[in-house]
Amino acid sequence: MTKILSPRLVIVVLAAALLVYPLVLSGAFYRDIGVTFLLAAISASAWNIVGGYAGQVSVGHSMFFGLGAYTPLLFYTQWGWPPMAAIPVAIALAIGLSIVIGMPTFRLTGHYFSMATIAVAELIRIFTGTWDFVGAAIGLQGPAIARGWWDLTFRSELPYYYLFLVVLAFLLAVTSFIERRRFGFYLRAIKSSERAARSLGVPVRRTKMQALALSAAFTSVAGSLYVIKTGFIDPDSGFGILISVQMVIIAALGGAGTLFGPLVGALILIPLQSATNTWFGGGGSGLTYILYGGIIVLIARFEPGGLFDLWNRVAPGLRGALRKRRHA
Amino acid sequence: MPDGGKLLDATNVSKKFGEFRAVAGADLAVNAGDIIGLIGPNGAGTSTFFNCLAGETVPSGGRIVFDGKDLTRASPEAHARAGIGRTFQVPTTFADMSVIHNVMVGAFLRHPHRNDARDKARAVLELTGLRPDQPARSLGTPGRKRLEIARALATEPRLLLLDESLAGLTPSELQEAIALVRQIHQSGVTIVIVEHIMEVIMTLTRHVLVFNQGHVIASGTPDSVVREPAVIEAYLGRSHRRPPPDPSPANGGG
Amino acid sequence: MVFLQVIVGGLLLGAIYALFSSGLTLIWGMMNFINFAHGEFVMLGMYVAFLVVVWIGGGPAIFTLAAAFALLLLGIAIYLSLIRHVIRGPMLAQILSTFGLALLLRYTAFYIFSANFVSLPQTWLAGTINLAGIYLPVAQLVGGILAIVLTLALHVLLTRTVMGSRLLAVAEDRAAAMLMGIRPDRMQMLAWGLSAGAAGIAGALMATAYPWSPSVGETFGLIAFVVVALGGFGSVLGSLYAGLIIGLIQAMSAFWLGAIYKDIVVYGLFVALLWFRPQGLMGKA
Repeated sequence: MTKILSPRLVIVVLAAALLVYPLVLSGAFYRDIGVTFLLAAISASAWNIVGGYAGQVSVGHSMFFGLGAYTPLLFYTQWGWPPMAAIPVAIALAIGLSIVIGMPTFRLTGHYFSMATIAVAELIRIFTGTWDFVGAAIGLQGPAIARGWWDLTFRSELPYYYLFLVVLAFLLAVTSFIERRRFGFYLRAIKSSERAARSLGVPVRRTKMQALALSAAFTSVAGSLYVIKTGFIDPDSGFGILISVQMVIIAALGGAGTLFGPLVGALILIPLQSATNTWFGGGGSGLTYILYGGIIVLIARFEPGGLFDLWNRVAPGLRGALRKRRHA
Repeated sequence: MPDGGKLLDATNVSKKFGEFRAVAGADLAVNAGDIIGLIGPNGAGTSTFFNCLAGETVPSGGRIVFDGKDLTRASPEAHARAGIGRTFQVPTTFADMSVIHNVMVGAFLRHPHRNDARDKARAVLELTGLRPDQPARSLGTPGRKRLEIARALATEPRLLLLDESLAGLTPSELQEAIALVRQIHQSGVTIVIVEHIMEVIMTLTRHVLVFNQGHVIASGTPDSVVREPAVIEAYLGRSHRRPPPDPSPANGGG
Repeated sequence: MVFLQVIVGGLLLGAIYALFSSGLTLIWGMMNFINFAHGEFVMLGMYVAFLVVVWIGGGPAIFTLAAAFALLLLGIAIYLSLIRHVIRGPMLAQILSTFGLALLLRYTAFYIFSANFVSLPQTWLAGTINLAGIYLPVAQLVGGILAIVLTLALHVLLTRTVMGSRLLAVAEDRAAAMLMGIRPDRMQMLAWGLSAGAAGIAGALMATAYPWSPSVGETFGLIAFVVVALGGFGSVLGSLYAGLIIGLIQAMSAFWLGAIYKDIVVYGLFVALLWFRPQGLMGKA
């Protein structure tokens, strides 16, 4: 039984499934969900670096997403750049913002950081709505017709799907890389006990800042991917609290601080979200968020480690029970 | 600073919390190879002084010099880098990580590459007799205390500060722990230990500082200090929650 | 004259900010815990007032008491069912617990009451009063004054009564309090009740003077953070000063820069505080 479910095999199967998914389920609806799923997985995995591994709970990560979303379209509308070319600028801005937030708050207890993330995200959202340079409340639009391949406006969802898949794979590879190195160990130590970590020479504040910067950079990329696909951004779709919420709940549901937790969380929540939006119709988004709130509270109260922890607790018992039945 | 090769030199250390003076003008000189005990009734200032040495508490006054470097206001991280390791009175292991991963966090200080850190961790675990792959949370209190010692050892400290790391153990566990500390000491690590268990103080340490109400009231070999009237009065002369230090090995001191 | 009106209006609103923020700071002082759903408590207080008026037709005294009582119970219930458990766990659980709760309460309110702004029908607090050339809505004046009185009452409760000293003892040193026979669990439960109750009253008072919708909870929550940060985490008196100051700053920002900017300035102030003076005016960091 354990052989059949070896982790390596599961990963290979998963990767294969993701690769062929849009070819097998080629309808527009399925591809759309696929793209949404990948984007959500990228955002949540990015959040996971600082929120899951390091335990610094940001509830305003949309500020980085929004930066990543606005910058490409800004460079396009103001100076005609292909949106994709401004991605490095967006990353730099996101890292800069992460430093502004991290510097003062990381020397205080964890709650300050969380509060600061909400406050700054809201601050930026409201401010963006008043600033004409970035489109104020109306927002910005991207190229309607491609001027060349570099504008990345595809009519089919397929290229976006594979582009996002590559980015997700890259992000997971980076996360896996740091997970096994000193940086990853230090992150987990910080999450577990900053006090003990300090006593062992871990440079706590600097490590947290690095984690936040890395997380911010990838979240910004997620935002950029989003606008490249949708071609439109406004304060709410860029900096809204619901974007922050989605990142957190997806990572936490699957298992914050695990490599594949965000993926699993997205696998469950994105189809669920699509379903509730269809069932509940117009009032759908309201009910979806009631559901999200409820799920978050349940996770916090009963299983903060998410499905990953739940599986680890339940699986040995299941295996034992299955073995008993076989021999009974 | 010309101090005749003292490893740690704490002079006139004091700490006030608001109006309350936890430590008043304490001195401690530690030579390389020493094994020194800090004792005192509850609230005597021993823990506060200890935390000043470890860098967790910044003293209100005085100086702490380690290996020629002034660490008075230095952070705990800087202390660790300088070569001071410590354990915590209430074990603070990384519960979500395995035993070996716990120790690796310490080992990474001097061995940035994972394989080297892992090798170092394994070596330390062999010394302390812990199984590497179990989750830290599955350890009982004695195991956790042992893990904390291992973890601190992995940072290759020259000075190891043990904060009641031998409290709450059964008699046989206590003997094992004493043997471990002795072994660590013999490998060249200088040790300062806060303890309430008389057997530990009497058998392990060569020099003892006795605190009471923030002051050092006695300083000398364990035998001489235990006979001093001031010390006896400190322990027996006032009502407190902790019973006076009991020379019998079975008493964990509470 | 207009300027003076802006100032007084700002101070009166600030008084209400002080009232609900004092609850938040109390919880922080006692448990080192931030309630991300605190703004929603205020919002719920407003809707309780609304429901009382709609169902029973009660006046301000009745619906304010109802809001106080309802939120008091809610605070205790939340402590017992959720907070008590997560406080012992990882930071992620602590922060997610009230964050999720905030979403739950906010969107349930959206679902039940819709996103439209509502206001209470006129009560005997209707009309404006002319004080030395300044025109003040009676409801705002009464609300503001009452808020100051209640905040001071909370401060007095904490510092001069036996129960208050027990609450403070738990905040100061849990272990020592236990040894004195005080039960931290019970005190914390009480603190949650007080905190939520204060928020409920603040909500009811605001409902008499300003229109609202379920979205206000998010704003109030953030304002409470700023007030608590400015006044000092753990200090009720600090919340009073800070609340008044924030109300004033908000009013002046709206006056000079435009209504959209009033929140931006306050949030910006929060970030500045984190950078330069996290312990605020009067508190412990």
